Amino acid sequence: MSNIEKVFKNLKKDNKKALITYSVAGDPDLESSEKIIRNFILEGVDIIEVGVPFSDPMAEGPSIQLGHERALKNKISLLDIMQMCLKIKNDHPNTPLVLMGYMNNFLSLKENLFDELKKNKIDGLIIVDLPYVESNEFLKKLNDKDIDLIRLISPTTTKERIDKILASSSGYLYYISLKGVTGSELKISDELENRVLEIKKQTKLPIVVGFGIKDAKTAKKMSLCSDGVVVGSKLVDEIGSFNPNKENILNQNLTSIISELKEGIS
Amino acid sequence: MSKENYDFPDKDGRFGEFGGKYVSETLISALDELECTYEEVKKDKSFLAEVKNDLETFVGRPSPLYFAQRWTENLGGAKIYLKREDLNHTGAHKINNTVGQVLLAKKMGKKRIIAETGAGQHGVATAAVAARHGLECIIFMGDEDIERQSPNVYRMKLLGATVCSVNSGTKTLKDAMNEAMRDWVTNVDDTHYIIGSVAGPHPYPQIVRDFNSIVGIELKDQSRGLFGRYPDKIIACVGGGSNAMGIFYPFLKDNSVDLIGVEAGGSGVDSGMHAAPLSDGSIGVLHGMKTYLMQDQEGQILSTHSVSAGLDYPGVGPEHSYLRDSGRVVYEAATDEEALDSFHDLTKTEGIMPALETAHALAYAKKIAPDLDKEEILVVNLSGRGDKDMANVAKVEGLTL
Repeated sequence: MSNIEKVFKNLKKDNKKALITYSVAGDPDLESSEKIIRNFILEGVDIIEVGVPFSDPMAEGPSIQLGHERALKNKISLLDIMQMCLKIKNDHPNTPLVLMGYMNNFLSLKENLFDELKKNKIDGLIIVDLPYVESNEFLKKLNDKDIDLIRLISPTTTKERIDKILASSSGYLYYISLKGVTGSELKISDELENRVLEIKKQTKLPIVVGFGIKDAKTAKKMSLCSDGVVVGSKLVDEIGSFNPNKENILNQNLTSIISELKEGIS
Repeated sequence: MSKENYDFPDKDGRFGEFGGKYVSETLISALDELECTYEEVKKDKSFLAEVKNDLETFVGRPSPLYFAQRWTENLGGAKIYLKREDLNHTGAHKINNTVGQVLLAKKMGKKRIIAETGAGQHGVATAAVAARHGLECIIFMGDEDIERQSPNVYRMKLLGATVCSVNSGTKTLKDAMNEAMRDWVTNVDDTHYIIGSVAGPHPYPQIVRDFNSIVGIELKDQSRGLFGRYPDKIIACVGGGSNAMGIFYPFLKDNSVDLIGVEAGGSGVDSGMHAAPLSDGSIGVLHGMKTYLMQDQEGQILSTHSVSAGLDYPGVGPEHSYLRDSGRVVYEAATDEEALDSFHDLTKTEGIMPALETAHALAYAKKIAPDLDKEEILVVNLSGRGDKDMANVAKVEGLTL
């Protein structure tokens, strides 16, 4: 059983929902981003999405775009990021680490990518601009290494397409809560909740909801119809205010965001 | 490749290994809708008649094929002809595509039009058709381009468009495209994104090529009439590559015609300061397509350099990548300096001021024409007029207007 499966199985046993964080590797610098992730894990975050910074992050709203820009100033590589993940995994082997980014950065490692992912104990990948029709070859190579390719489903995905996506998915499903970029304003509606419930009926995979989840109330609402929620922009915004002389304040603030969200969804 | 069987893109939107649909899930349904609608209207006689009528009465087609006699004599070699896309309404080939796409948008019931622009030509061409059809229009343009193409910014505003300045990344065309994609993902229900080049996810490279191929189709007729044969060489500048694809496409199966695309060599391809991914790039994925890109080892997109805003783009349409690898089209580069030199040449000897983008194609013509036989016929796609560049040329040359 994969790490991701175990996490959801255990949560289900306790009748709990997953809290998943997204932060950008290398933001504000590689060492600090590692500390931030370690802190998330200590605060009880269930799954960590590690953003791979890209020069052209098309799906991101302003907050996460800035996170990518800050990280790129440090000229970190995908290998640096994976090595950071391995260090974290060595101390927290059961917490799934999922890399989330854009196709071009993953392509840059060519065929080495798959061995490196395995070697650095990466549990899964989310590739924002890799829809399922383009992913056959890639998926096979990932599956050979027991790495999950986490699929996204959006409010505009048709029923036929959802069936096809589900047929080639593993790990969990990421439901995009809104039409828009990350960090947009989320308006919770019956339609949204019903849609998540509808997809849940079609699959045994856990389904988590992301985009626009910034507070305990929204997190709670979205966790009720799903298996967990992803929070990103809210954290990346906070990381943007990082001041090297006041590292503790950042950690305190992030901790309080996490505990508030955890309370919301428990 | 077997040129007789050239039938790209395939059903997955690929030109060989290039192209595809690398976009976020939310956009897939909009691309599918666009693809279906396009497949329908391609066979719809009344739609095609509407496009034809607009091209004739709104754009002013056909555009003439002009003999650049004095320039030919000065260079002393091949006869140089210019396909006068600069004479189109709004001053460039870009309108051929926007005229068609706006009708597609209406067919799909979209009320809002968005577009990216570099030099501003595509923005103006989009704003003009949106005005004509009474649709809301938002144009995304990089801060740096707004600065160097200010006359076009004002033109767009006069045409009723909202110009959104983009100050992320390199503040040029690629960032304007990112921002347009972000807007589209947010307003996907009522908005059509008119991409201005043969770039982006499928079906855009095909649609933009097809609407622009009127240029090559006319050239075929005109050269049969004027010379009793096809030209020996056709030269066009390549940024994303829409004017080049438009003039090349109808000739792809005619192997006697040499097709030459000219990229922006900036300060020189060896300097690294350029926008020539086909000359000095590598394969990657950006803006929904797999294609040649200017990128570093990590897959981060590099900032490009060109004196012309319209060529200042780190990618290129996927069909060009395919045609490069197959060898059917040869790609060269012209530097900023060479382009400026030809800009002045054509203006002074022919009384035609070309766009700086177009000047790159002219620069390559100037380079090869003197060594070619006088009977050879060389056609340059004069893709746009240069009025928009006057302030920029003056600035580059240290003058104030």
